[in-house]
Amino acid sequence: MQFPGNFKPPVGIIFDSDMGNRIDTVLAMALLYGLDGKNEARVVSISVSKANLKSAALSEVIGRFYAGAVNGGFAAIGRNLPVGMAEDGPAKGDTPLFSVLDKKDEKGAAVYQHGIHSLVDTAEVPALFRNAMTSQQDGNAIVLLCGPATNLANSIGLPNVKDLIKSKVRYLVISGGAFPGIDPAAAKKLLAEWPGQIVFAPAELGAALPYPGASIDKDFTWATAPHPVVDAYRAYKAMPYDAPSWDMTAVLYAIRPKENYFKLSEPGTLSVSSDGKARFTPSPNGLHKQLIADPAQREKVIQAFVELASAKPVVRQFRFRNQKKAADPAKPADVKPKP
Amino acid sequence: MVVRNWVLDYEGKLGELSRIMKPLEPYKDEITVLANLTHNNGRALLDGAGDHGRCCGSYLTGVQPKKSAVDIHCGISTDQIVANKIGSQTRFPSLEVGMEDARQAGDCDSGYSCAYTNNLAWRDERQPLPPILDPRALFERLFGKGASLSPEARARQSKFRKSILDFVTEDTKKLQGDLGPTDRRKLDEYMSSIREIERQLEKAESDNAHINPGMPKPYGVPADFSEHFKLMTDMLTVALQSDMTRVFTFLVTREGTSRSYREIGIPDGHHPLTHHRNEPALMEKVTQINTYHVKQFAAWIEKLKSTQEGDGSLLDNSMIVYGAGLCDGNKHNHEDLPTIIAGRGGNLIKPGYRRVYRRETPMTNLHLTMMDRMGVHVDNFGDSTGRVTGLDLA
Repeated sequence: MQFPGNFKPPVGIIFDSDMGNRIDTVLAMALLYGLDGKNEARVVSISVSKANLKSAALSEVIGRFYAGAVNGGFAAIGRNLPVGMAEDGPAKGDTPLFSVLDKKDEKGAAVYQHGIHSLVDTAEVPALFRNAMTSQQDGNAIVLLCGPATNLANSIGLPNVKDLIKSKVRYLVISGGAFPGIDPAAAKKLLAEWPGQIVFAPAELGAALPYPGASIDKDFTWATAPHPVVDAYRAYKAMPYDAPSWDMTAVLYAIRPKENYFKLSEPGTLSVSSDGKARFTPSPNGLHKQLIADPAQREKVIQAFVELASAKPVVRQFRFRNQKKAADPAKPADVKPKP
Repeated sequence: MVVRNWVLDYEGKLGELSRIMKPLEPYKDEITVLANLTHNNGRALLDGAGDHGRCCGSYLTGVQPKKSAVDIHCGISTDQIVANKIGSQTRFPSLEVGMEDARQAGDCDSGYSCAYTNNLAWRDERQPLPPILDPRALFERLFGKGASLSPEARARQSKFRKSILDFVTEDTKKLQGDLGPTDRRKLDEYMSSIREIERQLEKAESDNAHINPGMPKPYGVPADFSEHFKLMTDMLTVALQSDMTRVFTFLVTREGTSRSYREIGIPDGHHPLTHHRNEPALMEKVTQINTYHVKQFAAWIEKLKSTQEGDGSLLDNSMIVYGAGLCDGNKHNHEDLPTIIAGRGGNLIKPGYRRVYRRETPMTNLHLTMMDRMGVHVDNFGDSTGRVTGLDLA
């Protein structure tokens, strides 16, 4: 793949989730692509820790819905990477969200296309995770964990990966929605070995900032064709309902840390307690921090959730290939030969 | 490669082959087709244009070459790791062979040195091993300049060369006492080189005496691709058969080649054609070139298969990777690289199947696996994440 010249792209997002288990993960991807559409971030890697092809397929459907709108040239830069999937793991069963994949049009054809039909259509996660980092400029990647730590714990063991994390990744943001969740051993390993800063979005934060279910009927009306996020929301459980925003809080902070949507704790250490829950202990030399709800920002946060998650996919032209070169001041201006 | 005419749409036992692979139809039980192997270090990452330089430089090394026309930096190639381990058992630790004349210096692709586009084998990160391109030069390297002489004349020639080495060795030993540490180290390196030449000559004496090249000395480089390919592979076959070497690399065409194929009615340059922009007429020409290459490879497989070795054939005891550094020449992508292994690796590989790996599986996983089969065990190589599966007999 050709990479068109040197420029400072928006921060690259490596997104790992247990897609399919909770609706907030679907909304988080919509939010992520909303920010991507505003050029505040680029999704450079998508992987799932739920060892179910439908989990990878639903991620691909959502990714295609948004990133498929960009043109071929832009898609060539990091958008043709496959969806990674854990080969094995607990909680791999089907969920109501996967019914989105079965949706048919009036002719009986699948409404949402994807290319994941067997394990070989997915990527092995450690290679995908490492490869995504190798194409980011130093300090220009963020890792978002919106599920169990299974994949990241497996990936940090690869040779040189910790060095790559140190040089490429600003921070890891962990959503408390499913962490430590079903894989506390992986969570312990990740927290012990991750060589950089971690910001934790605890479960109570997302619980206190629910995504308004009414938005699904109101803010997506621009979609004249089926919308996978709308269909997923309706498939998750009977409408109307508001959804905890666990993974959305992690995404929003990760990409807009300076907007003061949340308060940030003093440094500390995140650990997994004996009962399998996340515990944050303040310590001056800790590399971890925790997000804290700011009641004054509640409306602002929910407004950002709604606006970004319901944003239209942005059709972007490939702006680099035809960009005019800046004039070289050391070079004399072209002089036309005399006739 | 025109991918749609290369790729198979099934996994498992080889059935009908694709148009480009069709010449391999009679040898389906002798080959393994691999899919989804990737060279991430061939990708741009942060280095901009230059896929040809990167894909060739990374192909056997698994590292991303440094983007420079003068300050070359790559990595040791997998063949050289094996050669370092087992090469002392044969006259040539490895052979590097090619078919296309190309310069070794300067910029050959968007700032990448020609050293990257024109060499497959690397002794270390700074030292590429240029391939022998001329059949005559390969003949003389394998069988000596006097290969057409009688065994007695060859022995005399070799004895004379050895006596010169004895003289040089004696002379340099006298110097050793008068030198400082730096010069003594240089002299040691020099003496090591002499000893290596002596070792090769001794092996040559024992080997050459009974090796019949089975062909006249070639006159030079044939213009015809198939004739050139046949000459080179005939000599590689003899080299393997007579255990002159167990490791070789063969750069059939170089990256960015402008070679034309008039013998099959294609006067256009190969590389320009691969940027076909999905125009059917251009894609057809590229497909014909791809198929023509495979046809030559199939003819070599036939030769290896018909060459008896022990209870089986030379092919049974070989592992020959046929592949390309880019998948789709029009897209310049580095994933799902076209890859075939011919042979059974001494009954360590079960051929006759298409093995599809998960996407992003590093090509270096295959390198590690093949090194294992050669008895060379390395924990990691390049960007490897493990070994590939499915090649085993079980």
